[in-house]
Amino acid sequence: MQQQPVKPSLRFWADRPLTFKGLVVIALPLAVLLGSLVSLYLASDAESRAEDDVRRAFAIQRDTYQVHALLAEAAAGVRGYVLTREDRFLEPYRRAEADLPATMERLDIAIEDQVVRGHFEDLRLVVAQKREGLRSTIELAEGSAAIGPQEVERSFAANKQELDAVRSEIEDVQRTEAIVLERRQRLVDEVRTGFLRLTAVSAAIGLLGSIIGVYLFSTGIVRRVSRLEDNAGKLARGERLIDLPEEADEIGRLAQRLGRASALLRAREDDLRESEERFRLVIERVRDYGIFTLDKQGTVTSWNLGAERIKGWHADEILGQHFSRFYPEETRDYLPAEMLERAREEGAAEDEGWRVRKDGSRFWANVVITALRDEGGELQGFAKVTRDMSERRRSEEALRLAREEAVAANRAKSDFLSRTSHELRTPLNAILGFGQLLEIAEEEFEHPHREAIGQIAKAGRHLLSLINDLLDISSIEAGATELEIEPIDVAPFLEDMHALAAPIVSSAGLKFDLDQSQEPLTIYADRRRATQVILNLIGNAAKYNRTGKRVRLSADAEGDLVRFVVEDDGPGIAEADVPRLFTAFDRLGQQDRARVEGTGLGLALSKSLAESMGGDLRYEPANPGARFCFTLSRVLREAQVTSAGDAEMAK
Amino acid sequence: MTRRLVESREILSSRILAIDDEEANIALLRNVLEREGYTEIECLTDPRDALATYIDFAPDLVLLDLMMPEVDGFELLEAFGRHDSADEFRPVLVLTADTTIQARRKALALGAKDFVSKPFDVIEVGLRISNLLETRILYQRLRER
Repeated sequence: MQQQPVKPSLRFWADRPLTFKGLVVIALPLAVLLGSLVSLYLASDAESRAEDDVRRAFAIQRDTYQVHALLAEAAAGVRGYVLTREDRFLEPYRRAEADLPATMERLDIAIEDQVVRGHFEDLRLVVAQKREGLRSTIELAEGSAAIGPQEVERSFAANKQELDAVRSEIEDVQRTEAIVLERRQRLVDEVRTGFLRLTAVSAAIGLLGSIIGVYLFSTGIVRRVSRLEDNAGKLARGERLIDLPEEADEIGRLAQRLGRASALLRAREDDLRESEERFRLVIERVRDYGIFTLDKQGTVTSWNLGAERIKGWHADEILGQHFSRFYPEETRDYLPAEMLERAREEGAAEDEGWRVRKDGSRFWANVVITALRDEGGELQGFAKVTRDMSERRRSEEALRLAREEAVAANRAKSDFLSRTSHELRTPLNAILGFGQLLEIAEEEFEHPHREAIGQIAKAGRHLLSLINDLLDISSIEAGATELEIEPIDVAPFLEDMHALAAPIVSSAGLKFDLDQSQEPLTIYADRRRATQVILNLIGNAAKYNRTGKRVRLSADAEGDLVRFVVEDDGPGIAEADVPRLFTAFDRLGQQDRARVEGTGLGLALSKSLAESMGGDLRYEPANPGARFCFTLSRVLREAQVTSAGDAEMAK
Repeated sequence: MTRRLVESREILSSRILAIDDEEANIALLRNVLEREGYTEIECLTDPRDALATYIDFAPDLVLLDLMMPEVDGFELLEAFGRHDSADEFRPVLVLTADTTIQARRKALALGAKDFVSKPFDVIEVGLRISNLLETRILYQRLRER
């Protein structure tokens, strides 16, 4: 899924976790509200300060009135005292003297306004003059027994003047203080309304902000979640997902995971589709098997190339047809139904028998019908695999015949050989027998006849060994020789060979060496035949080594073979003669023939024997002399077992 | 000369039946036997007459070829075995050109007392014949006692 990019400015916000976003959204309006509360508090604080000012202003007014009242009462009292000389009139004066300083002090502290203070300083002077005036009036009255009316009048007039001045000063103070008060009250009102407005506005903003914030936040989340839900739905339906902005919060991560899941699913789907497609193509293109499907009733619903090739119908011709038409008439009525029934019950049904092609020709088929069921076990139809076995049936038949023929031929060969052997030996028996009888009675004959009798007997014996070797070779080459393969320990076997051949070698005047292998070795061979080969080789070495002094027999391991070597230090074999060494009747050194007895079959027979046991016989030139290497297997070979089995079968 | 437990006169007077479809071989056998000094020799080239002759002639020893037309040596071995009583020791020496081990085993299993491959050594055959006859004579003496 392609992720939508997010604006870099929003990147920080987009990547915060939801808890953080939620906190921010809730906290912001709350902070605004808190701000408005603070401003409310500040407003009330300012208001209370303003109210204090007003209160103080009122106190100043009260005190100034009191100053005026005290002085007025004191003046009135002094006047009464002067007129009556009664001490009780001095009571107000004394009260004024006691209270005024404290009152003046209070005013001095309370007055802050500079203008008012100016007036207050004037007042303080006037009040002091007045108090002075009053005291002098009282002293005057006390000093003179009687004060004349003029003096009293004058004093009163002066007092009145002073009192007026006090009143005027007090009025000034009060007037200016009233102005200050009014100003302050106006200020308090302004502050209060200002703060109230601010509070109202910030509360409104906070409320609105929180509503908007929560709305935006929640609608954002809801929108994203619902998009996510859409995507989940698409995932479930296997559709392509909508691209969502790449954000690192929980929803963003969920979206990314969904995206990855979708990608994974898509990749798997692709793989599956690909493998399905491959599989479909494979099935479609399989040529050796007819693979097709049937519905529950047995109607053909798919058809591959193999089916077309085997049965002859093209897909267009057979789709929708019932599969019973593949069966020949004699089985058509019951076998198709039976096969479906069996497949339905046992899961699969197999059958081998005749089926018909489109052209009506028959073929031998191997058929497997498999019931196709969905996950719930509900039968969906059948798959049928048909193989044309005609060819195999034919080749099996041919193979069987060939095998029988081979066995018969083998037996015939074997019979022929043993009959030949018998037929040749029978007359030879009479020839050799009578020859021997004549030899026994040789004194009864004259010299030339004796010579003739000797020749007949010798030729007869030669003929017999020829027949023996020839039959041996033929029998080996015909595979009619029964080998008795057994494990043979090489060391004692070589000892036996040495002991057996020693007389032959020593009678030729040669030394006979034996070299055993260092390691213990075992060969799998026919003991009699192996002996025959080795004795033949030693015999040859003894016969033909006219110039040397020794014959050597040795054995060594060579891979999974044992190499027996028979070598001599005689004249060896001319290079030109080597290719003919193992050819029957091709005796080398024809000029020596009179002196060396032999059939000319020994090496050919030995090589055949070696090969029949899974070994080999080779010639190698030795300098000087001749070296024959005879190998035999150290492991039991299939071929040996088979040849032994064949021999058994031939028997 | 071979050491014998029985006088050679007694051996040479034994009755010998030779059966071989080959005239030359019969002639050879007769020659060998006569040279040795045997007098009671009956020769057959038709194996179909073998059983009748075996019964009539009642030989002390039979020289038998194996591979013959009509009736082969194995059948004759069986027939002789069936005819003779259980305590009878009438040795059969098989002389055959069949050199296979199977033939050798089968013949010996069917009661042949010895087996020689053709072509044979006439002296060896003569010795084997006299050995078998000596055994038969000794056996019969033992039985008469």
